[in-house]
Amino acid sequence: MSSYPTSVIRDLIDGNLPWHEVKSIMSDFKDDDRFFKYIEILQERMPWTEQILLPIGEHLSIVQKGSRRIVKCDCGHEFGDYRQNWKLQALISVRDDEQTIGEIYPGRLACDPSWMEIREFICPGCATLLEVEAAPPGYPIVFDFLPDLETFYRDWLGRPLPDEISEEG
Amino acid sequence: MAQPTTPKTQGVPKQTQRVPPGSPVVQPSTLQERLQQNERQFAEKGCYAGITDLTLREDDPIKYESLHTKLRSMVVSAREMARRISASPGVREVGEMVVALYTPEGDAISLSTGIMVHVHTTSRFIKWMIQNGYEKDPGIRPGDIFANNDAFIGTVQVPDVMDVVPIFHDGQLAGWAGAVCHELEVGGITPGGDVYLAAERFTEGLFVCAEKVGANDELRRDYIIRCERNLRMPIYWILDEKAKVAACLEVREKLKELIDEVGIEFYTRACKEFIEEGRRAQLNRMRQIAVPGRYRGHTFYGHLVKGKPGVLAIANENRLYAIPLEMEIDKDGVISLDFEGTGSWGYHSMNCTPAGMDGGLFVTLTQHLNYDGKVNDGAWLATRMNLPPGTWTNPDRHTVATATSWALLLPAFGIFQRLLSRAFLSRGFKEEVFVGQVNSPMVEMGGISQYGKLFGCALFECAAAGSGALGIKDGLDTAYVGWNPESDMGNVEIWELAIPMLYLGRTITPDSGGAGKYRGGAAFTSMWLVHNTPELILATSEHSARVFDNAGLCGGYPAPTAQRHYAVRDSNVRELGAQRECLPHSLGPDPHSTHLERLVGGRHEEVEGPYIAAPLKSGDLFAHAYNGGGGYGDPIEREPQLIVRDVENGYVTPELAGALHVVALELDRQTDRWTVDREATKQRREQFRRDRLRKAVPVSRWIERQRQRILDRDLVDEVKNMYGDCMQLSSRFKDEFRSFWSLPSDFEL
Repeated sequence: MSSYPTSVIRDLIDGNLPWHEVKSIMSDFKDDDRFFKYIEILQERMPWTEQILLPIGEHLSIVQKGSRRIVKCDCGHEFGDYRQNWKLQALISVRDDEQTIGEIYPGRLACDPSWMEIREFICPGCATLLEVEAAPPGYPIVFDFLPDLETFYRDWLGRPLPDEISEEG
Repeated sequence: MAQPTTPKTQGVPKQTQRVPPGSPVVQPSTLQERLQQNERQFAEKGCYAGITDLTLREDDPIKYESLHTKLRSMVVSAREMARRISASPGVREVGEMVVALYTPEGDAISLSTGIMVHVHTTSRFIKWMIQNGYEKDPGIRPGDIFANNDAFIGTVQVPDVMDVVPIFHDGQLAGWAGAVCHELEVGGITPGGDVYLAAERFTEGLFVCAEKVGANDELRRDYIIRCERNLRMPIYWILDEKAKVAACLEVREKLKELIDEVGIEFYTRACKEFIEEGRRAQLNRMRQIAVPGRYRGHTFYGHLVKGKPGVLAIANENRLYAIPLEMEIDKDGVISLDFEGTGSWGYHSMNCTPAGMDGGLFVTLTQHLNYDGKVNDGAWLATRMNLPPGTWTNPDRHTVATATSWALLLPAFGIFQRLLSRAFLSRGFKEEVFVGQVNSPMVEMGGISQYGKLFGCALFECAAAGSGALGIKDGLDTAYVGWNPESDMGNVEIWELAIPMLYLGRTITPDSGGAGKYRGGAAFTSMWLVHNTPELILATSEHSARVFDNAGLCGGYPAPTAQRHYAVRDSNVRELGAQRECLPHSLGPDPHSTHLERLVGGRHEEVEGPYIAAPLKSGDLFAHAYNGGGGYGDPIEREPQLIVRDVENGYVTPELAGALHVVALELDRQTDRWTVDREATKQRREQFRRDRLRKAVPVSRWIERQRQRILDRDLVDEVKNMYGDCMQLSSRFKDEFRSFWSLPSDFEL
């Protein structure tokens, strides 16, 4: 099986690896040690120390904070229990009229605001745009991903997951 | 014979759909019994055809792998050979063809490149014939040729015409060779293959319903006559038929030689092991690069036909479709897709059968998970799909039209690609993250050709849309569609031979890719001068109106896919040419006006959604825009130098570079080169973040305000109707909708 130096994985995930090397990695057998190298790279970049259990976005991770598992932004902002939709704890900016939609989809590129609005979910800590939903008015916010952490660690990675001591922590 | 009513996959895992565990054991003597036995064994043992051990692979791996490589080589070379027989630029130029080899029971063993979506739909076709007693009547004999384009039996849409021939070895059925071509003309109510105006099956064109169309290796003359008399452009269909038969016969003869070489017992066992190995590889791949759990996503599609010419009263309504998708990855790596919450089928051509949904699933699996090793029906066996009865994914009436099923199918499986990508991202395989495919609206036409004859054609340059972004780089510009990984738009000169239109331009469409740290691939726009014809009927398809039918990922924006069509009738373009004035070659970079309006005189038309109108004629102009892909990541994290390249090459306008990517660009008018002011960009982006925080509100507050809007039912009719439809079909959606907005338990829309 393949395995790559951490420096290669770092360049790869940052989009800095030349395409011919990326292509070679994509065409080869998958590197089974990828996940922990990935986590290690992300962990060393964070300004906080909680253990990353699972990245769930470009800037979001599920981390172990004491006895709790929470969603946390790279900047340190915490969104609460990972089993709840982090979007509900975010800031939102909604483009739901011709003017605001036209700012980024001008003229013939626009959608009809009475049929579709653009929802921007923003981190309250660093103002990063974390997700965008395009949905008709009234469509419930989507809970993108609820991982089965226990099965992932125990059965797929063969590593123990830090025990959950209590719901409240 | 069984009636083609409600298919059997709905609502249950397809692995257990037909024969429950514990059914009495039947010693297989007929093909039908062998099929039942396979299904029973799968239900009981969870492995393909009772193959619990890959003994041939273990005992003689060289012979085993060598056989697989030879099979793969056979189908690939047969496709390349057959493409040269076809007259259709869709097959010859764009490669809208696939060839595959099947077991006697109809499971795919090996497949060529091309439109792999049809590998599993052909499997459905073969199984349907077996299940419906074809062994007895009309009989399955050496030299027979069977054809089908009925999506309720096994294809995606009416233009996807498939042919299969049985392969006998020493008097025993050893398998099937199959080939599919996408036909450019099917004789429907509107010309072309996708027949956008078809409201029911009865206007979709020429159907061949699991029919024996040939014997003794020859297509029947009466079948050819039927094609000649019912199609606008029979040469495409008929020569494609000959190409497919040639491909199948080539595979058959080569396979017989191969079986003589390895022995029928080895061959038969090895094929079963190939499929079982494919199933296991799929599960292993999931455990290797994904994360178990529940994933959700959605997209939407706007159907705008009300009042357009030719629309029947029964179909005369605009609709908004919700396409929600939930994906569960379980501890074994099995993927379950659930389309509960989507809308009902309708009197339009965009419905899809379970066979078509299987095709969409299969082609996605082969591109994102099962792309190496044994690519066959094994991957499909490791997945489940819930297609709620009565929805567009599983119409409960076989007279429903499906000619444009890609309109909803492509957005639906674009969600699947995004959901898988969330799993890849979590696992660290960012290079596999893909924001997904988009719809690729097609221009179809008929009338009088430039040669003065009746004609019909689907312009397949649509097979080169922009792709969604990747997690580490931009999407592909004008180079990807989901249904054919060998995406190709074809040469302008070849299309000009086939249609009475001359290209004034094919141009990258500015701002057509979704914005993001990595932007979606850009699309292109074509502009034509109608040429040498008194009557050109145009009908476009798969064009979402008013909503975007794709999405971004991780802060990326969707691509703008609700575009319009532009035509100019009685234009003065010839006078402009004679006077050496500027001609329009594209719509131009200004989204508020077009080069047509600015440069050309005549009667201007701007049509929202699909273009269905009175015929055009020589001297008229027409423009059609394809779709770009969704973006990945926050656009203000995009490397400024990449935006310089985007602007200089026309992928992004300076206006949106400023508005979305927040960069400080400067144009040197003497050199016509752009540069970026990095310090100013940094400051602008910091200010932009502060502005974001100032303008945004907590989601909880927004929900409060929106809740009142829902209670007041302050929504346009199409949106209200969409919710009412989804609620009627899904109590789960209804409960979740009420719960999310804290609505009364009896709230309806």
